Amino acid sequence: MSRSTRKLLLPGGIVLALVTVLLLAPLLPLHDVRAMDIPNRFAGPSAAHWLGQDEFGRDVLARLIWGGRASLFIAVGSALAAATIGTLLGLLGGYFRGVVEVLTVRAAEVLLCLPPLLLALLVVTILGAGTWPLILALTLLYTPNYARVAYAATLQVRGLDYVTAQRAMGAPPLTILGRTILPNVLPPLLVQMSLVVASAMVIESGLSFLGLGVVPPTPSWGLMIRAARGAMEQAPMLLVWPSLALAGTILTFNLLCDRLQTALDPREVTKGGALWMRRPGRRKTAAARRHGAADDNGPLVEICNLAISVGRTPQIDLVRRAGLTVMPGETVALVGESGSGKTLTSLALLGLLPDQLRVSAGEMRYRTRAGAVLDLAQMDEEAFRALRGPEVSMVFQDAAAALNPVHRVGDQLAEALRAGGLTGERAVQARVVELLRHVGIPEPERRRRAYPHELSGGQRQRAMIALAVANSPRLLVADEPTTALDPTIQAQILDLFRKLKTDTPDMGLIFVTHDLAVVSELADRVVVMYAGEVVETGPVAEVFARPKHPYTAALIASVPEGAADQLRAIPGSVPPPHDMPPGCRFAPRCDHALPQCTSRVPETSHPEASRSSRCIRWKEVC
Amino acid sequence: MVRYIAYRSLVAIFLVWVVVTLVFLLLHLIPGDPAELLLSQGSIAPDPQAVAALREKMGLNAPLWQQYLDHLGGLLSGDLGASFRDGAPVIEQIATRLPRTLEVIFTAALLASLAGVPLGTWAAIRAGGKADGFVSLLASAALSTPVFVVGSVVILIFAQQLKWLPAGGFVPFSEDPVQHLKLLILPAGTVALSLWAVITRMTRASVLEVLERDHVRTARAKGLGRNTILRRHVVRNALIPVLTVLGLEMGTLIGGTVLVEFVFNWPGLSGYLVAAVDARDYPEVVGIVMTISVLFVFLNLVVDVVNAALDPRISLVTP
Repeated sequence: MSRSTRKLLLPGGIVLALVTVLLLAPLLPLHDVRAMDIPNRFAGPSAAHWLGQDEFGRDVLARLIWGGRASLFIAVGSALAAATIGTLLGLLGGYFRGVVEVLTVRAAEVLLCLPPLLLALLVVTILGAGTWPLILALTLLYTPNYARVAYAATLQVRGLDYVTAQRAMGAPPLTILGRTILPNVLPPLLVQMSLVVASAMVIESGLSFLGLGVVPPTPSWGLMIRAARGAMEQAPMLLVWPSLALAGTILTFNLLCDRLQTALDPREVTKGGALWMRRPGRRKTAAARRHGAADDNGPLVEICNLAISVGRTPQIDLVRRAGLTVMPGETVALVGESGSGKTLTSLALLGLLPDQLRVSAGEMRYRTRAGAVLDLAQMDEEAFRALRGPEVSMVFQDAAAALNPVHRVGDQLAEALRAGGLTGERAVQARVVELLRHVGIPEPERRRRAYPHELSGGQRQRAMIALAVANSPRLLVADEPTTALDPTIQAQILDLFRKLKTDTPDMGLIFVTHDLAVVSELADRVVVMYAGEVVETGPVAEVFARPKHPYTAALIASVPEGAADQLRAIPGSVPPPHDMPPGCRFAPRCDHALPQCTSRVPETSHPEASRSSRCIRWKEVC
Repeated sequence: MVRYIAYRSLVAIFLVWVVVTLVFLLLHLIPGDPAELLLSQGSIAPDPQAVAALREKMGLNAPLWQQYLDHLGGLLSGDLGASFRDGAPVIEQIATRLPRTLEVIFTAALLASLAGVPLGTWAAIRAGGKADGFVSLLASAALSTPVFVVGSVVILIFAQQLKWLPAGGFVPFSEDPVQHLKLLILPAGTVALSLWAVITRMTRASVLEVLERDHVRTARAKGLGRNTILRRHVVRNALIPVLTVLGLEMGTLIGGTVLVEFVFNWPGLSGYLVAAVDARDYPEVVGIVMTISVLFVFLNLVVDVVNAALDPRISLVTP
């Protein structure tokens, strides 16, 4: 039994017990609900009257149970009636559409123009108070809900292949509706049912409380509360019992609805939130280890043996033994298929990994402008915040999603500048315009007032880049910045990156991509990742000319080139993280694999000083 | 934006017309004679002469379409008819009582938002934790307790037992501002409780959703501080659906404060409605229902316009 099903037991059990007691009320040894006992009015609990006696000396427990019967009868009765009528209307409207839809679903929705309690009051005005007018009013009130839910569900189901197939085979509409569609739309209707019962009880008790619902002397919780208000000073408990019963019952039905929803639609994740938002202290508290000032010619960033993992028992490594080095002014391309871990590695550099993931091993040594060396793997959110912007920055793949839709582009830029320490409104605005012009956005004075959705795809990506370079970062990480764009725009954005490199010669750039053509155009060095591991590194020209890892070779061979007449796809696909082969991760797809490849993890070899390969057969591969 | 507001206003006017027609039809197309229905008490047949007089008074002898047009014409000129009970113009009563109802609703909305938005955000950041579970449970309980139960219990505790506040009643602000506010606290607080639950739940869900969005990650990548991100990039975006729900809830409340006004003896519009229903005062009922419906539609219009101002993408969807 799943967790969500188990959670159904509590509210389900209570509802069942409640219904049983209320149904069995005539058989229970209860006092007559109308039997008055004036001398003993307001008497407290006794052996004969467990919950005491009310203002006429009637037994409170008996009235509570019979009152619940009345409330539940009205609520369930109207919920069932509304369900039947509403579902029928929704099914018909959703299946036939057109005029039928207007006559059924849309007609029912007209009722939603009136506030609910008002509609009920109107019906009561016309028909007078009483149980049946109440049921009619509540049925009217909830029919549109069911019609809507059934309509939406029917629309979803009717497009499915097996329904189309039945129609094609000539099954009459009623058969399809009853046999195929109805069972499929039942789950959302079930959820609706518990919700409506709860809501109907609220309105029923409210109307009864006003004296417009259940007519005395029939007991009802609403009426009991009404009566108890007059006697608050003598017997406050008279108010408490029906209040508890009413609120408890409604709470149970609401709970049942919530849990039914979770049980029927398990997609919803229960864990969430944002760890990075919480005050520090629960995460790694240690500030970065300082390695002292290194020499000025050292690398800007050096990743060694990095592992990024999810879960603790078992811990699954999404990235492991990853390493790369970026010198000041150098452009390093990070390439690999989707799922190779290149985006995770770059997010880790800014401390932006999703909450479920963490850096579980390795070092990411970063040399700051001041010359201090920090281990990014040990830093917490606060420490990262000081780095983001002036030291490390990132261009994201999908600029449309990465920019906040409710703020003007210029305001988003200004915000970054202020975070970077720029003060004075005029200075900030001047810099905003300058940055927008720098990244090639025409009419920057006007465009800074535009919202992201008012810009074209290419301009949005330019704005994203402006945001990333606003505080002149020393290391810029670009995560597939051209993937979402069409080819002509891609070329323009690449030109922009080239321009940025010339304008800021000391800035290191990590360019994540799966496009090898881009790599050869833009990058100095290339790092190839496969299934979470770095398999080969080296200068771009050399790696492309003589790859030293079968995966790199296969990747290069798969690029369609004008001259090459055959395109070779890499057979198979990247293994999922929880099911990695024990030895070399590429072995199952490798043409050169030997028996020992599948049993032992290959060590990193260095064919040349500037190159590395994680393949035991690198000498023979090319 | 202007086009958008114009479009939404047209839709709102259409909705008001739908409501007006609906109420008219409800009262005129039901089986039986409305005059007879209005006069009958239980199973006792009303006096035929009284029925005839009432029919004449209600204009029921004219053809239906003419009654409908008269009805619309009356509404357009602001004439809601005169009460059956005392012959006073219905519009006057509404003008006195509506502000009192709105006062309770707006105070409640303010209280509920001030408490609900921060608490919902706080719970969302700690989603799945103990604090979040507690807030969710509290909200569920608040949502499940009918407003008249809350009101009665609140009177029992704060008025009867602790004697901190008066149990109910009304004093005009101009007569005694302090007493007026004292009397306002309990009804507004009672309405605020369920509203608070709705806002808290909605804020929590909305913030959770926004936290997952890419632009929050961008805000972090820019090096913004925690509070700036929370304020400008999380809550600001998350508030849009919360506002919609708040507006809808307030619209429902305009007709739904009946119980609170009854419990606290607050002489607002809804209490007037109950009295009118009780007395079957047809012009009063219709007048109040119209007023509430128009306000309901108008509030939805305001919500739409405010949403469009908060989310610049919305005004693009004008057909």
